[in-house]
Amino acid sequence: MALLEVQNIAKRFGGLVAVNEFSLSLDRGEIVALIGPNGAGKTTAFNVIAGYYKADAGKVLFNGRDITNLRPDQICALGLVRTFQVVRPFRGLSVLENVMIGAYARTNNNHEALARAEEVLDFLGMSKLSDRVASGLPIAGRKRLEIARAVATDPQVLLLDETMAGLRPLETEEVIGMVRKLSERGIAIFLVEHVMKVVMSLAERIIVLHHGETIAQGIPSEVVRNPQVIDAYLGEANATS
Amino acid sequence: MSADVSNKITRNPRKSLWHSLFSTWDRTQITASFILVGLMAISPLFVDSPYFMGIIILAALYAFIGISWNIIAGFTGQLLIAHIIFLALGGYTTIVLLNTYRVSPWVGIFVGGLVAASAGIIIALITLRYGLKLDYFALFTIALLVALRTLFLKWEFVGGAVGMYLRLAKPSTAKMIFDSKPPYLYIVLALLTLGIVIQYLIYNSKMGKYFMAIREDEAAASALGVNTSRYKTLSVIIGATLAGIGGGFYVMYVTFIDPTGLFNLGVNVEIVMAGPIIGGLGSLSGPILGAFVNKPIAELIRGFLAEERSGITLIVYGLFLILSIMFMPRGLAGVFHSLYLKIKRPSKEEA
Repeated sequence: MALLEVQNIAKRFGGLVAVNEFSLSLDRGEIVALIGPNGAGKTTAFNVIAGYYKADAGKVLFNGRDITNLRPDQICALGLVRTFQVVRPFRGLSVLENVMIGAYARTNNNHEALARAEEVLDFLGMSKLSDRVASGLPIAGRKRLEIARAVATDPQVLLLDETMAGLRPLETEEVIGMVRKLSERGIAIFLVEHVMKVVMSLAERIIVLHHGETIAQGIPSEVVRNPQVIDAYLGEANATS
Repeated sequence: MSADVSNKITRNPRKSLWHSLFSTWDRTQITASFILVGLMAISPLFVDSPYFMGIIILAALYAFIGISWNIIAGFTGQLLIAHIIFLALGGYTTIVLLNTYRVSPWVGIFVGGLVAASAGIIIALITLRYGLKLDYFALFTIALLVALRTLFLKWEFVGGAVGMYLRLAKPSTAKMIFDSKPPYLYIVLALLTLGIVIQYLIYNSKMGKYFMAIREDEAAASALGVNTSRYKTLSVIIGATLAGIGGGFYVMYVTFIDPTGLFNLGVNVEIVMAGPIIGGLGSLSGPILGAFVNKPIAELIRGFLAEERSGITLIVYGLFLILSIMFMPRGLAGVFHSLYLKIKRPSKEEA
């Protein structure tokens, strides 16, 4: 059994089927990407897995345990954590405090939380920012903070929701480096991403969503040649390049 | 961090006391709070007038009540507007216990705290059950205040519309009845000290950081493992308990309680909200600094304008609050924080 097993989850909003029959299996250290056009249901799938939406059907198993419809904080305590597409830093607090709040998921002790937060910031090359107030960070800093906070909770699975959106190429490279490092530590990563360059360089497998349905999945080089994927999402230009 | 290390090496021991009192903004705020408490403690030496003594006592009480609200509204960001409910419940409990059951107020005010805490739990459970947040949460607490006022107006056991007076008794320490002001002052200062310490411990704990995470972004907090319902409830319980204790003391000090006087939004603004807002909601020193501006100014306005129609004092007081919010959005603590940073920066470069 894989670390994270998502079995045929579905989510409807009134008559609209946002996600249907979505399945996924993710193992330790693996990086899997979820792509698809806007409105395909990517973030909805995330929200169901992380406990923000109740699933209308299907199951989410984590380490063999059914976590479907647990609260986000319970899911985080078990070792699955997500970031947000629109970053949500604790604006009035410092970068260090932001990351400490993540670290408190594993300890009640101030010194341990502080040490853990400093370690994570150091590991991700963000130590210099630690005293800055989160609201004063540029967008790239806030995106990295979003990841650092999540990593501080000591997850086994990390769900990254469009972490590279809005970043410049150089900043994107930095974040790609961060994700690789985390993956080398054994954290399983499931990411939603629009930037194909990122997807191609990071993902070992890709799942393509369209109107809530999984239309393709497999290794990146095959998926990008799939005619249905080209038609629904990538377009001719991307496929030939 | 690095500045701290260099200070340890270069500064002589005499300066290190100064350093430990003012090295960070948080420490400075605590130091300032205790300086204010100390000044009040020696105030009987140079304040003779019972009138001014009374203002000092109520300012200290407002500071304590302000702390109780600051934990809920400032740290956790929950707009529990009608906080005075807890004050009233603590007050009623204390006076009923004393008048009807002859229970000493020394016990009574803490029972009052427990009754207020129970009310806090009920409010938290109802609002969480029905997902009332932000403005709806605020409106719910206001509605509850109106409902409780009506209930207490009709409830003869607690005196109905007339309210309850402390049974006339000889001054007695056991009954917390004194014929001079200073004993009241020292009781309220003990409460205030307790409040400052509790607030500081919370601020620096996991619980406090979780409160602030909820204030800043509830969804993000829950993603990071914060059980938001649990911590919101905790924050309401702590704030309600302190307010209930404060209410118990308030009743012992003013010697009577009635529904229209305490289940009252205007009074709520003056006793609960104005202090922390003027002082800086969410900061450590805000409720204390605010109370020491708020209470004297409220009293001053009343003193000058009381002979006019009574409404005018409220208009002037309201105007004062509006101006202070406009020009000090982060309160006095915010102003002092900016000053502190300005003073601190150049001295760092010297070292």
